[in-house]
Amino acid sequence: MAMLKIDNLHVRVAGKEILKGLSLSVNPGEVHAIMGPNGAGKSTLGYALAGRDGYEIAQGTVEYDGRNLLELEPEARAAAGMFLAFQYPVEIPGVNNTYFLKAALNAQRKARGEAELDSMQFLKLVRAKLAVLQLKEDLLNRAVNAGFSGGEKKRNEIFQMALLEPKLAILDETDSGLDIDALKMVADGVNAMRAPDRAFVVITHYQRLLDYIVPDFVHVLADGRIVESGDASLALKLEEHGYAWIAQRQAPVEHRVGAA
Amino acid sequence: MDGLLGEFGSGDAQARAESWRYSRLALRALEQMPFQNAAGNAQLPPALIERFDWPQTRGHRLVFVNGVLDAAHSDAGASGAIIETAADGARTIRFRGKGVLHLVFANVASDAPSRWNATLHIRVESGKAYVAEQHVGTQGADVLGALTSEITIDDGAALQSATLGDLPGSASLVRRTRIALGNDAGFDATHALCGGRFQRFDIDAELAGAKAHLASRGVFALRGREHVDVHLDVRHAARDTVSDVMWRGVADGRARGILHGAITVAPGADGADARLETKNLLLSPHAEIDAQPVLEIYADEVKASHGATVGQLDERALFYLRSRGVPLAAARSLLIAGFCRAAFARIEATDLRGPFEALLDAHLPQNADGAA
Repeated sequence: MAMLKIDNLHVRVAGKEILKGLSLSVNPGEVHAIMGPNGAGKSTLGYALAGRDGYEIAQGTVEYDGRNLLELEPEARAAAGMFLAFQYPVEIPGVNNTYFLKAALNAQRKARGEAELDSMQFLKLVRAKLAVLQLKEDLLNRAVNAGFSGGEKKRNEIFQMALLEPKLAILDETDSGLDIDALKMVADGVNAMRAPDRAFVVITHYQRLLDYIVPDFVHVLADGRIVESGDASLALKLEEHGYAWIAQRQAPVEHRVGAA
Repeated sequence: MDGLLGEFGSGDAQARAESWRYSRLALRALEQMPFQNAAGNAQLPPALIERFDWPQTRGHRLVFVNGVLDAAHSDAGASGAIIETAADGARTIRFRGKGVLHLVFANVASDAPSRWNATLHIRVESGKAYVAEQHVGTQGADVLGALTSEITIDDGAALQSATLGDLPGSASLVRRTRIALGNDAGFDATHALCGGRFQRFDIDAELAGAKAHLASRGVFALRGREHVDVHLDVRHAARDTVSDVMWRGVADGRARGILHGAITVAPGADGADARLETKNLLLSPHAEIDAQPVLEIYADEVKASHGATVGQLDERALFYLRSRGVPLAAARSLLIAGFCRAAFARIEATDLRGPFEALLDAHLPQNADGAA
C-alpha cells in the first residue's frame, strides 16, 4: 500500500491556482525526485503537504498512511511522521535550538503515545546525530537558525530530520545555496537514513543533488502538474536538454510509478 | 487643581498633558479613589516574603513596606552600600568599589485604598555596583506607590540595575528615575514589567560626562486591562557618549502599553552614538501599544538610529515550529518568550536572570496544550 497517495491535487495560493491536478504515489522505502522549472509549483507541493496556512486545497485528495492528511493540523502531520525540510529555514531569535528540538521531539512522542525523553536521554540522542552530520555542538546553544550561514541552516534542517526520524521526509530544494562539500554532507545525512520503512520526496531544481541521493523515480513538475515520470536517467536527460524539452509536453501523463 | 497629574507630571501644563496623553484616563480613575496614607508598619505575609527572599541576595537586601523601611526584613550588611537617612526620610545609598544591593518595595493592601511616597538617592562613587529592584504586592484594596530615585554615577564608575515590576492587579506604581552620568561612567539597566493596575516609569538620563554610556533594556508583558507607560528621556550632553535603548512589549486582552523613547543630542555632544529600538507584539485585537521614538539632534558628528515596530507573531516562524511537531499554543508561547528574552541577554549577574525569566513565564500566555 502506498504511504502517500496524492490524487488530482489542486492548490490555490492568494487566489491563484498553483497546483492543477497533481497526482503522485509514494511507497515506503522509495526516493522520489520532483524536478521542474521555477514557478512550476514545487515549493507549493511541500507547503501544502505540511499544512501551511494560506495553501488552499481547491480539489483532490491526499492520503497518508491510510488517513486523510488534509484534515490534520501541521503538528499532527509531524507527529504522524511527516517532515518538511524548508527551502528557506526560518530564523527565530530568542528561541534556543536545543529547547525547541526537545519540545518538538517530545510533543511528537507524546502525540504518538510514546514516553517523553528526559534531558539526559535527549542529549545523548542529539550528540549521536550531530556526529553523523559533522555539526558542532555549539550550534545547539544558539537561537534557531539565527545568524546561521546558508549551509548551516540546511545542515540544521537535515540534523532535525535525523533527530525526528520521520517516515516521510520532503526536502524542498535543500541543495540550493550549498557548496559541493555541504551538498555531500547533506546527501550523506539523507542516505544514512534511507530505510525500507521510510520514504523521501526530494524537490530540486538541479540534477546535481541526485548524483549523491540517487532516486528511484524522477518526476517533472511543470505548470502545476506532473508531466513526465521515469527512473533516475530522466534527471540526466533533463540536465542535457533543459526544461524546454519538457515544455511541449504539458498534457498530464499517467504516472507510472504507483505500482512499482 | 491638577490632581495626580500635577503631582507626577513635570514641566508646564502642555508638557505634562503631552507626556501623559496615553495615561491620563488611568490617572483620572486613580484620582477618584479616597486614598489614605499607607501603613508603613503593615505585616508582610509569608507568601510575599517568599517572592523576594532570594538566597543569592541575603545580606544584600533592603525591604520597604508601603514606602517605609522594614528593618526586620532588611539586612544589607554584605552589600557594600553605605546607607544614610535624611531628616525628611529620603535615603541615600552610596557605593565605593563593588556593591550588590537588592531593593524590595512591597505594596501591602489594607481595607481602604492607600498610597505611599518614597525617595532614594543612589550614588556610585567608584567601582561597579549591581542593584536589583523588585516591586511586589498583595491583592486587596488599591495601593498607589510613588518612588522617586535620583541616581548619580561618578566619573569612571558603573551601575548595573535590574528592575522587576511584578504587581497584583490592585497595585499601581509611579516610578520616576533621574540618572546623571559623569565622565566615562556607565549605566546598564534591564526591566521587566508585568501586572499591576497601572505602572508608569519615567526614566530621565543625562549623559553629562564625556564617554558616558547608557544601556536601557526592558520588556513589558501585559494582559487583561493592565496598563504600563514607559517614558525614556536620554540626553547626550557631552562628547563621545553612547546610548543603547532596546525595549520589547507584548500586549494581550485589553492591555495597553506605551513606550515613549526620546533621545536628544545637545549642541557640542559630537561623537555621540545613539540607538533606540522598540519592538512590540499585539496578541489580541483589543490590545494597544503605542511606540513613540523621538530623536532630536543638535550636534553635527553623530550616529543615531531608531526603529519602532508593532506587529503580530511571525506566521512563518509559527508554521516552522508546528511543522516540527510543536503544537500551536506551545509554538506561540515559545515565540513570545523568545521575543521578550532578547531584552535580558545582557544581564551580567546571570543568577539574576532566573527571576526575570520566571516572572515572564508567569505572565506570558502559556502552553494551553498542557493537558493534551
